[in-house]
Amino acid sequence: MTELTPTNRRFLAFDLNDTEREQAGLHGHTIEQLSDYLDRGRVPADPSIDDSPECEIALRGLERLRRAQQTLLDKDLKRESLRDDSWVASILDNITLEAHAGREIPLSHPSPTARLVVTEGAVRGVLREVGDRMQNLFVGRCVLVGDVSVPGTPISIMVDVTVFPGQNIPLLAEQLRHAMYVALHKYTELVVAAIDITVSDLQALPDSSAQEKEH
Amino acid sequence: MPSTLREQVASPLAGATDQMLSDRAADGDLRAFEVLVRRYGPLMRIYATRVLGSNDETDDVVQESFITAWQQLGTLDDGSAVKSWLMRIVSRKSIDRLRARRLHVNIEDTDAPAPESHAPHALAEAESQTEALARVLATLPEDQRRCWTLRELAEYSYGDIADELNLPLSTVRGLLARARKTLLREMEEWR
Repeated sequence: MTELTPTNRRFLAFDLNDTEREQAGLHGHTIEQLSDYLDRGRVPADPSIDDSPECEIALRGLERLRRAQQTLLDKDLKRESLRDDSWVASILDNITLEAHAGREIPLSHPSPTARLVVTEGAVRGVLREVGDRMQNLFVGRCVLVGDVSVPGTPISIMVDVTVFPGQNIPLLAEQLRHAMYVALHKYTELVVAAIDITVSDLQALPDSSAQEKEH
Repeated sequence: MPSTLREQVASPLAGATDQMLSDRAADGDLRAFEVLVRRYGPLMRIYATRVLGSNDETDDVVQESFITAWQQLGTLDDGSAVKSWLMRIVSRKSIDRLRARRLHVNIEDTDAPAPESHAPHALAEAESQTEALARVLATLPEDQRRCWTLRELAEYSYGDIADELNLPLSTVRGLLARARKTLLREMEEWR
């Protein structure tokens, strides 16, 4: 804001409608070319732009526009973050969990007329829950591989896991696998031949400021 | 007011990567989805308000966008790209609204008038640059504003904008160049 173009060098040379006049005022270039040049970080250097006072003024104007755009966005984001939380609740209230229920997995029952099932989505939920009770890892996608609809058919499970830095990965994976077997046995009748865990390690510890950084 | 505030317990998932959150949400994890809503909802709201020119319909558009996102998360191949994917959804919903509105009011091919709240007023010279930018953005012709917003807020490439708005690439380039020049020229009045 303090960076003012001298009043005797006000930048109004370009013409909105006439490309030729726009170029005449910008040493043969257009605002679009200058904007692209700025996007490229002014490399490779183009002397016909860098050495032109008219272009320099235009580039400064574009940079100022860019800063104003960023400041406006930051300001808007700040204002949005101060809103009360009802909009989040309203979105979540309108969501139906059935969208991700997946396949139905039969459960046995003493009565021949009863039909009990647990959904694939619920089983994935159980697996995530196991991970969330453990420290230093996040359980991501869980895939049930095999025909879960036929009781007794062996299936396998593929789990993506992110492990926090500095952890003993084989040990954590083994603990997780064990806890998952226990939970699956408790809540389902699935015959699980294998739980394949794919581990990726996190570069940095997650923290509460991570959300801010995303913005 | 506190009664409308949901209890905001810091979710352990708040620091998780977009990829992790998208994967979990695609598996049906509502808590992971909530983190995504909080992370990108504000940007989506700003985007929708800019494209629509007012915030009357912002809540509806953003809510519809997230409901669609929840239903279609399974189709997102790369969870780390969830931000641009969400921006694409809110962009489509916003444009649908504009079309519906135009149909409703039966406006011909004219530019939308500037909303009342953004009309220039006597104290314009006292505005900060950002306020001035917001005002000028709101008075841009609709097609220019849409391109500019897709470019600057949704970070679309020129080609993506062309696809999204069903316009030739050259037209998109022209609209963006025009928007940029108008904004630059208006900036001369800001100081």
